[in-house]
Amino acid sequence: MIERQTIETDILIIGGGTAGCMAAVEAKERFPEYKVTILEKAHIDRSGCLAGGMNAINAYLNKGETPESFVRYVRSDSCGLIREDLVKSMSELFEYCVKKVEKWGLPILSDENGEYVPRGRWNIKINGESLKPILSKAARSAGAKVYNWITVTNLLTEGDRVTGAVGFSLRNGKFYVVHAKAVLIATGGAAGLYRPNNAGDASHKTWYSPYNTGAGYAMGIRAGAEMTSYEMRYVALRTKDAIAPTGTIALGAGAPQVNSKGERFMVSRYADIGGDGAPTPYRAHGPIQEIKEGRGPVYLDTRGISPEKVADLKKAYLDMYPSQVLYWLANDIDPGAEPVEVQTTEPYIVGGHCQAGYWVDVDRRTTLKGLYAAGDVAGGAPFKFVSGCWAEGVLAARSMGEDLKTLDRVIVSDAQIDAEVRHAFRPFENHGTIRHGIKSAELESRLQKIMEQYAGGASTYYEMNEQMLAIARKKLAILPQEAESLVAEDLHQLMKAHEVIDRIDVAQVLVEHMAYRKETRWPTYHTRTDYPERDDVNWLKFVNSVRDRRSGKIELTTRPYEQIVPGDRYKA
Amino acid sequence: MPVWIDPDKCNGCNSSRQPPCLRMCPGDLIVKDHSVNKAYLKYPEDCWDCLPCVKVCPEEAIEFHLSYQFGSRGAKLAPHIHKDRDFITWEAEDIRGKKETFTIRTKVMKIALDEKVEDSEQGLDFSI
Repeated sequence: MIERQTIETDILIIGGGTAGCMAAVEAKERFPEYKVTILEKAHIDRSGCLAGGMNAINAYLNKGETPESFVRYVRSDSCGLIREDLVKSMSELFEYCVKKVEKWGLPILSDENGEYVPRGRWNIKINGESLKPILSKAARSAGAKVYNWITVTNLLTEGDRVTGAVGFSLRNGKFYVVHAKAVLIATGGAAGLYRPNNAGDASHKTWYSPYNTGAGYAMGIRAGAEMTSYEMRYVALRTKDAIAPTGTIALGAGAPQVNSKGERFMVSRYADIGGDGAPTPYRAHGPIQEIKEGRGPVYLDTRGISPEKVADLKKAYLDMYPSQVLYWLANDIDPGAEPVEVQTTEPYIVGGHCQAGYWVDVDRRTTLKGLYAAGDVAGGAPFKFVSGCWAEGVLAARSMGEDLKTLDRVIVSDAQIDAEVRHAFRPFENHGTIRHGIKSAELESRLQKIMEQYAGGASTYYEMNEQMLAIARKKLAILPQEAESLVAEDLHQLMKAHEVIDRIDVAQVLVEHMAYRKETRWPTYHTRTDYPERDDVNWLKFVNSVRDRRSGKIELTTRPYEQIVPGDRYKA
Repeated sequence: MPVWIDPDKCNGCNSSRQPPCLRMCPGDLIVKDHSVNKAYLKYPEDCWDCLPCVKVCPEEAIEFHLSYQFGSRGAKLAPHIHKDRDFITWEAEDIRGKKETFTIRTKVMKIALDEKVEDSEQGLDFSI
């Protein structure tokens, strides 16, 4: 018999990461009368994307920039299609959030006048090794109640109203039932949909946190929330093998991309769209084409940078990605003497770099009453990175606080909770009772194989067409049934089983989105070989979806694009 | 193996049920074997190389290794937290034995050796 723990709260935050911690602080500061509860999958001090640290804030309005100039930049960087209302509203809060975190103890590089030192047009340098514990401490000090090691398996709903969430504890095995008047999803995006770059004991050496497995997307899909723009996948350009950020080198040392012949191919082939400053998808697409056409490997040309610059580079990596430094030490590489090879990652679904996620209004309300989204799970607003996730946390907290005046506590039926217990613990029950049960690692490889080979994986240079996607659709359709035979021997494995269940739901929606958008707006993120051109006449709009709660059918629809900031959409 | 807990240096944080390395791993990959009072990385294939475990160990018992497919053993990169907790000095050594150190500003939070899990009786242990 599974022991149940019931929690009553006003505001429930699922995921104590970048967005979730900031939302908790804002909610407690503005509405101290409300109870705020955070369910965290790991330990809040070191969970999610920021676990290892961060060395820059990459979305900040440096001197002379405005929300409008930011919208123009993000719009052109995202090939002319974004939710301008969302991007503008988050940029208005960058300063508010960054100053707050600085006050909590984050070291930010400033000049003698106290102005932040820019690292690039939208970037400032931080010493963020401890950014995550700084945020979690603020959330706890503000009065949020944190439950660590809870794997959330589903939202609780009553019709179109979200009334809480359920999950299990990795530590005590209890089933948690949280009744809430307002629920914020801030779980982060989805890694592990595609086969990773490296095998064996390096299979989790990924760009995105491998522990962000699409739980927030999946529970929304299952609850019937409207989703947007999954087809704008994210493929990161990273250093070879270490998978460390290239911005640290490109912005920090001013190193250009070159191919094996030493040609600055971004300048020679992509001059019309900005060369080295081309929109981000092209900065991944460019090097892939070089490799595809036999002109690889591709490098960031660091040759000739001063020993001081090399030491600065290493220090910057030690703040967030120490394995890059160990890689150089282990391979006898001096980045001042030889160029740094780069590669692209497997695709991820992430609303903080791209715009896959919940369809939200400007106050970060989703289409389900009582449900809000912030950070990587919220759609329509790319270029969030850390500060944009904070801003969305603030916006969501403010609207939840206001809405709570009219949101009541809704009673959920015992039958629903009983069904959720069965769903959560089924792999546990299966263990020892069914023959030839499926291990989470087996189902994960099956999913990743399908996605890799038929849904635009790295081995097909991220390309896809109608026929490939039809095969992916057919092969994926079997997997939810297969997932019912997942087995788990312990709570850790039970968590891993749910990570695969969630990713299957996300992958199915992703394939439908990629099949529906019949153009190539974001090369590499979504390269349709059967529709290779951008098509503003027919596709300057958002592709959205809702999975029907009864039939399970994924219904696709479109939503119009609205231009708020005037000007050429393809110019920054 | 991306990180390796030296059993000669690990003291299991004495009687801690949830030692810092175990709590700070975002992937829930480290467990404590209470029969020998030592922590170990149970799921090396799931390690992200994010290193909170290395930095949080009070005994400096956790070594940072690179997965062997990426390069040769023998290189070393080890962080030492300063007493004031405002700096980390990284000790680096390449495969030819050349040494360097890097000191960076930071804000390292103090962490308790143990922490009670919400709604749990101490002693309940599902992790091994």
